[in-house]
Amino acid sequence: MPRTLLLGYGNTLCGDDALGPMAVERLRALLPGAEFISCHQLGPELAETMAVFDFALFLDAACDGEPGTVHVERLSPSSDQAASLTHHVEPAALLELAHALYGRAPLAMLVTGVGESFDNHEGLSAKGNQALEEICRIVPRIVPKPLADLPTME
Amino acid sequence: MPTITIDPITRIEGHAKVTIQLDEQGEVQGARFHVTQVRGFEKLCEGRPFTEMPALMARICGICPTSHLLASSKACDDIMAVRIPETAEKLRRIMNLAQITQSHALSFFYLSSPDFLLGMDADPEERNIMGVVRKYPQMARDGIKLRQFGQRVLETLGGKRVHPGWIVPGGVSHPLQADHRDQILAEIPEAIRITRSALQWFKGQIENFRAEVRSFANFPSLFLAMANDTNEFSAYNGWLRFIDANLNIVADHITGTDYLNYIGESCNDDSYLKSTYFKPLGLADGIYRVGPLARLNMCQSAGTTQADEELAEFRELERHSVLSSFYYHYARLIEILFSIERMETLLNEPEILGKNVRAHASPNNFEGVGILEAPRGTLIHHYRIDQNGLIESANMIIATGHNNLAINHGVFQVARQFVKSKKLEQGMLNRVEAVVRAFDPCLSCSTHAAGMMPLDIQLLSADGEMIDRMRR
Repeated sequence: MPRTLLLGYGNTLCGDDALGPMAVERLRALLPGAEFISCHQLGPELAETMAVFDFALFLDAACDGEPGTVHVERLSPSSDQAASLTHHVEPAALLELAHALYGRAPLAMLVTGVGESFDNHEGLSAKGNQALEEICRIVPRIVPKPLADLPTME
Repeated sequence: MPTITIDPITRIEGHAKVTIQLDEQGEVQGARFHVTQVRGFEKLCEGRPFTEMPALMARICGICPTSHLLASSKACDDIMAVRIPETAEKLRRIMNLAQITQSHALSFFYLSSPDFLLGMDADPEERNIMGVVRKYPQMARDGIKLRQFGQRVLETLGGKRVHPGWIVPGGVSHPLQADHRDQILAEIPEAIRITRSALQWFKGQIENFRAEVRSFANFPSLFLAMANDTNEFSAYNGWLRFIDANLNIVADHITGTDYLNYIGESCNDDSYLKSTYFKPLGLADGIYRVGPLARLNMCQSAGTTQADEELAEFRELERHSVLSSFYYHYARLIEILFSIERMETLLNEPEILGKNVRAHASPNNFEGVGILEAPRGTLIHHYRIDQNGLIESANMIIATGHNNLAINHGVFQVARQFVKSKKLEQGMLNRVEAVVRAFDPCLSCSTHAAGMMPLDIQLLSADGEMIDRMRR
């Protein structure tokens, strides 16, 4: 059984930026075999954690695009953004760190929901909620597919 | 007049720039460190219930929220006039030590190690953490492991790594469980091994950085840090003390009630970061430094076995106080070692599992001040409340503000030594950045004073004559 990680990140005090962490809470019940991490932001410390998984799905909020829509993209390890990392890293840089330091990075995809309000408040906007529903509809369907289709990076 | 601008400064927490002014001959005439972001926390907390302050103030920063939580909670303890339970105090001290560990690990391994490992003159495409990962993977893994350890302690005690809500006015919200204590204790030997290994390595590198030791904010100044009766390293309890470059005590037993008699704050027209100074000497002569270098200069002993051995060696660097800010890096590693050792001691004390961890009270004072040593230096939170317990005013003095004058002095010193207008090289410019990095400034924390910055707009004619002026 491939080990699957769903990692939602964002600031829960900044409106729709909470999409990732809120999606994690919803998806726990829908994907009982997977493991979940909910955090404020991605840190380099997650590289070691990443390396033990076969498949990782990053769940994030975006501010560019049509509010309420969801976008899915395949991720590859990349050192471009890792060079300037401090306490925050991008998903591709995290994969690069996992690969470079621990010899292994999971196959990974990034799911972003486009929000419309990122002001200082708790709770999602109507469009944010729409994106959350869409994420919860899409993710259970895409999680198994890459595991079957794609080889693990060693 | 030609000006060199380095914008943005990389590998620091926040956004800043440095300008270097050259004279007509191309020699460095002046240099300034500008902080270009603003946060405004002192203003936005006005009108909030004082009990909300710890959670609110933690949002100042994603790197050292625990330090703000602790300082804020201490200020609230002061407002409530409570003495928190012994177990709660020890748990808070562990949190502070874990915060120092993870923050210093980030500074040393992630932000500064590319300069040490790859060289100040290395290609900037390589001189970054990925360069370290490629050439020195074990060092990179060690850095990640050590920071992970500090964060795990914060998460285990506080519930989450960033912005834990466990520290509250009057103590902490719940006691430590035995299995959680044992989890932390199990990780301590590895954390100590990594720290000792990094110390050994760094000490072996110092000879290669003689020019940086000489020029990185290496000048006599005052130092400010927390002190106590035992003269041991103190990060949570005690009073404030100023010493001079010869280790003489200049001012002592400074507390929350009188710190404003000793610490002045000055606004700058080209930066959102205020500068603090030792008030009795005034802005021009009152420059002082805080943080790891100041703390190690201040204490007579660390109070733990291995850190004391390292401290003895550190003291041999200079006859009196250690003055070069390059040694902030060295001091950070010693502080990590101390923090881990002290955490182990505290966790092994039986009362650490005590159930009485919170004192409850209504406000008994209209004013409260919380002081502690954050990773980057002395942190002060000062609140005034009204009859209803709502914040009337807040004043926060953050380590990077304490160090601002010294950072500026250091930037000028390095610029004079390494920046030559006729031959600009990346390594020279990087040294200017590196001296800022030595202080590990946290700009998110320190630019909290919205509305405090004086604004002076002057309209000058071509010949320099002022023809209009607006001031706020």
